[in-house]
Amino acid sequence: MTRHAFISMETVFLKSFQYIRPESLEEAGRFLAGDAPVKLLGGGNTLLLRIQSGEEEPAILLDVKHLPGFKDVRYHHNQGLKLGAAVNLQHLVMGLEIRRHYALLHQTAQKLASPQVRNRATIGGTLAWASPVSELAAPMLCYDAVCHVWSSRGLREIPLSEFYLGDFQTALAGDEIITHVHLPAFPNRTYGVYRRQTVRHDGRRMIAAAAVLAYRRQQALTHWRIAVLGVDDRPKRIPEAEAALEGAPTEEEVDRALHIVQEQIHPVDADYARADYRRASLNVLLRQAILDVIQQLQSMRS
Amino acid sequence: MVMRKTHVIGKPFPLVEAQKKLTGVSCYAGDERFGPELLHARILFSERGHARFRLRGVEAARKQEGVAALLTGRDLHTRLGAVIEDRELLAVDEVKYAGQPLAVVAAESTEAAMQALAMIQIEYERLPGVYDIESALAPNAPPVHPHMASYRGFDQVQAEPERNLAHQVAFQRGDVEKALASAAFVLDHTYTAAPLQHAPMETHGGVAQRQGKGGLIMWMHTQAPFLQREVIARALHMDPKDLRIITQCVGGSFGSKVFVSVEGLLAAIAREVDNRPVRLHLTREEEFRAVFMTPAMRARVTMGLDDQGHIVAIRAIYDWNVGASVDAFLMEMQRIALAGAGPYAIPNADIQVNAIYTHLLPAAPMRGLSIAQVHWAVEQHVDELAEMAGVSPLALRQRNLVKGGDQLFPNFVMHANGLESCVLETARAIDWQPDHQREASGAVASGKGLAMGWSPILVSPHCKSRATIQCDGENLCTVIVDGVDVGQGYYAFITQLISFELNFPIEWITVQPTDTGNYDSDWRAIYNNLLWSTGRALLQATAELKRQILSYVSEMWEEPMTNLDIVEGEVISYATKRRLSVLTLLQEGTGEGAPPVFRAAGVYEPEVKAESLDGALQSFATTGYAAEVAVNLETGDLTVLQLAGAADVGHAINPEGVKAQLKGGIIQGVSQTLLEEMRFKDGAPVTIDFMSYPIATTADMPQQIHPIVVEIPQSTGPYGARDLSNHVLVGASAAIGNAVYRATGVRIRELPITPQRIYDALQTQAKTVEGNC
Amino acid sequence: MKHDITFTINGESVHLTVLSHQTLLEVIRNDLGLTGPKYGCSTGECGACSVLLDGEVVNSCLVLAPEADGAEIMTVEGLSEDDELHPLQKSFIDHHGVQCGYCAPGMLISAKALLSRTSRPHEEEIREALVGNLCRCGAYADIIKSIQVASRARR
Repeated sequence: MTRHAFISMETVFLKSFQYIRPESLEEAGRFLAGDAPVKLLGGGNTLLLRIQSGEEEPAILLDVKHLPGFKDVRYHHNQGLKLGAAVNLQHLVMGLEIRRHYALLHQTAQKLASPQVRNRATIGGTLAWASPVSELAAPMLCYDAVCHVWSSRGLREIPLSEFYLGDFQTALAGDEIITHVHLPAFPNRTYGVYRRQTVRHDGRRMIAAAAVLAYRRQQALTHWRIAVLGVDDRPKRIPEAEAALEGAPTEEEVDRALHIVQEQIHPVDADYARADYRRASLNVLLRQAILDVIQQLQSMRS
Repeated sequence: MVMRKTHVIGKPFPLVEAQKKLTGVSCYAGDERFGPELLHARILFSERGHARFRLRGVEAARKQEGVAALLTGRDLHTRLGAVIEDRELLAVDEVKYAGQPLAVVAAESTEAAMQALAMIQIEYERLPGVYDIESALAPNAPPVHPHMASYRGFDQVQAEPERNLAHQVAFQRGDVEKALASAAFVLDHTYTAAPLQHAPMETHGGVAQRQGKGGLIMWMHTQAPFLQREVIARALHMDPKDLRIITQCVGGSFGSKVFVSVEGLLAAIAREVDNRPVRLHLTREEEFRAVFMTPAMRARVTMGLDDQGHIVAIRAIYDWNVGASVDAFLMEMQRIALAGAGPYAIPNADIQVNAIYTHLLPAAPMRGLSIAQVHWAVEQHVDELAEMAGVSPLALRQRNLVKGGDQLFPNFVMHANGLESCVLETARAIDWQPDHQREASGAVASGKGLAMGWSPILVSPHCKSRATIQCDGENLCTVIVDGVDVGQGYYAFITQLISFELNFPIEWITVQPTDTGNYDSDWRAIYNNLLWSTGRALLQATAELKRQILSYVSEMWEEPMTNLDIVEGEVISYATKRRLSVLTLLQEGTGEGAPPVFRAAGVYEPEVKAESLDGALQSFATTGYAAEVAVNLETGDLTVLQLAGAADVGHAINPEGVKAQLKGGIIQGVSQTLLEEMRFKDGAPVTIDFMSYPIATTADMPQQIHPIVVEIPQSTGPYGARDLSNHVLVGASAAIGNAVYRATGVRIRELPITPQRIYDALQTQAKTVEGNC
Repeated sequence: MKHDITFTINGESVHLTVLSHQTLLEVIRNDLGLTGPKYGCSTGECGACSVLLDGEVVNSCLVLAPEADGAEIMTVEGLSEDDELHPLQKSFIDHHGVQCGYCAPGMLISAKALLSRTSRPHEEEIREALVGNLCRCGAYADIIKSIQVASRARR
């Protein structure tokens, strides 16, 4: 058997590629329709590592950050939030409209990686990487985010809850580009919590994480959202558990919701956390998050 | 007597090179400016563990455009090592470990070098490998070095190559069996520690250039230039005098830039090239895969306690997985044996230290010198023993700790030391109390733990330290030493000492980068305990230099020397009140002829007779640690809330610098205890970047850090000072482990303390409790 | 593929021809000869190569050189003006914010980015701002102190 010994690099990539900055979606589409392997370049935090290691060998990198509208952020109290695909994650930390109306997104983004990474990482690129521990996915799933996608065949919308297919796969076709993400408007009395357990406290080596969101309508706590990370092959919502919490959940109902979650997750072993441990960790995080949300919403003035 | 106003000893003093480092001036690996003449070296490393191999395509690679030289083990078959040559510069036919160098190339660009190496195909034929201590010691295990007896330096080790014992050091006193038999409490446990990576932020690198026919200059970022010179020269069959190593800034070493790793390959390939400089700079992945690991430890500890609270006996067997080379670890083994009973005056002790060969990459000690791992075992064991006997862990420590005057080793009486102050002050800093157990709020419980530490300072024969000071009108005051500043403040200390002794303003003093061209020192020339040894050499040199200056002025002024002194950069006469700036003196002299040049040298040579590997015990550094942790009892999540670290430094010459070292030790202690573990698959590292091998970030820092300086003077040290930086984290892990126990009731005996391990132990505890009900 | 690019670095405009697969770090070090940003990992984990790109801190090892076309870049070399050290640099010297020093240029850049946003950051904010800069010497406590003192000293 013949294999190459590992050779990594200081400041060079093993194979060269062409960097192209398309002016329009149509121009980008022409490259995507061609024969040469193409990758879309967002922040590059993951893609450039994969090219370095030889896991990806694109001939062309299409820098989609400068496409028209890709850095737009628009909020409307009825229509919700539109985030261009190339908006960076740091904007989720700093943006006033995010802090005010999508506090869970702001709260989660603050914990995400480092300033260096957040300043580069784009919303479209991060969602499309589809990591099972993608922290951005958790609040986005809770806020019913919808990916708006362009291809030369037309436009389509993919709800984020249907976007992840598992094992880093997404519902995007090879010629499709996320143009923006849309989050519907949420009532004022919405509250969300993100909890994670990681080995290193900056977020590296995730054991499990959960985001929970609901809002209060009169005395009822409704529109429950539960998103879990690190415990399945994709970030996912657990709608049946959400349904179990509808109303003003009792302790038994919380237990039942947690039980449903346990039945619907499929954690795998990591070298730092066994599957059974990730399961147990998630259960604790999720219970705390649900109880926090209940407490916060009930303490709000009606 | 005039008081010296420029009293810089014991005052805050910044790092001498700080400004250079903070403005981006080039001084690290990869920064060297050599212009287009510069060639780039790359190394082909084995990605497999134990295997037979053949290289194909070597000749084609050699002829590849842009390639200046290429070497494989068939071109240059030579062995490498400081004491025992148990490594090959380049492997021939057999790979002993993943990460072993197979070929080295120098080319016009990094890309050309990489392309050449990519043309070489490696055919492996897998051989049975042993990767952990147990399998290496198993009957019929394949010996890693079956031909060890033929290696140079074999007579220096106590080895049994056929059963993978690379070296053994043992120490006994009293009768352990008898003492254990009559002890009131006997406790027996095994503790382990994972292999670590030194992971300096600057990866290994440097530049080498051939000089004339046989000579070579290397610009290196090493802690031990004299050692590297000797080892590289011997491997390449050069006269050490023909190899000159000039040191540059060292972007962190922690022990990884002492012994030779890839530097030998840089020298070898540069010798193949006609007088063009060749640069090597490893990638982070290469740094992880192919430089050094620290040895994994398995410690089996038995202690006996009598009913009066005296620890009467200890038996400890420390096994270390040193990978395929013991050379870099040899000198630490004696230290481990000396420290192996912990900082206690135990009358009966039986300590055995074994280095076990495996098919992993070579081991080298890390900051803490593996003494940190020893204390992980001993200092948790003492807490366990205290609990078994129902006494306070602090009281048990105080009753048994080693005191000045104790004679525990032949020819060595323990000096006065601050061990007790260290543990008491750290306990006070975090308000440790003997009686409180855990404090719980919801699922989160907190607890506090203590540990002490001691770490022997050894000096080997030939371990000379030299210092030369020259004062002249052009460069004012330049200093040449043989140690290297790796960020611990060595050059700052030198500057402070000279400024104090000669009463010169600090701006006059320049410490030259250490250059093996300056001295013909032995390879054992100092790279540890720098303050103590360089300090003593400098004191000689400054005394002589002062004498020269005063003697010169005495002749010039026709006054007796006894009237004269140097005060704030001026020579003054107490009798006639004449004064003369030293600056003027250096620039103008007497006004006739050339201005004077004063030059004085000092040598410190330890009085060690034995012509062996053994060093002589000089003193012990002592430390104390106290930790408060919070543990989530449901998830095993662990946070270090506070960590106090104390060290007895004898006399803090640069107090803020000492605290900076202590604070660094605290962070590294947290990192090693909670996060770090090198992992392998079939002998090849799978922890190859900072994602798979996380080190502490600001998010992992304890909320409160308490650095505590204890000063019990060391009579033999300069100004009573003792070295610190190497010993600074000894005790940190055990203090955290003891705190985790107090918070949770579960004892983690494996390093690192991961959330998974805490969770598992809590689960087992819960089951045991259920079972008892 | 070659790209003619223009950007300003430390206030000076430069015009360069770069290749698609060159990183900004490589160009800054090799073409421009600025050795402040360091190679530490090439995976964006250590922050030794940090520079300001249009005022925001980024890992220059994960920015392709052609991406920097039209940008405004600052490296640690641009911190001091007319040989006068920046207050952050002075504070790092005075408070032992530097040990081996390899991480220091990146730390200073992260600190600069923080102070341009928040003039008087509290400790927690500084910790968060430095989470992408590894220091193996463990000098974090003194680095944080250096930044705090420098921020207080500013007008």
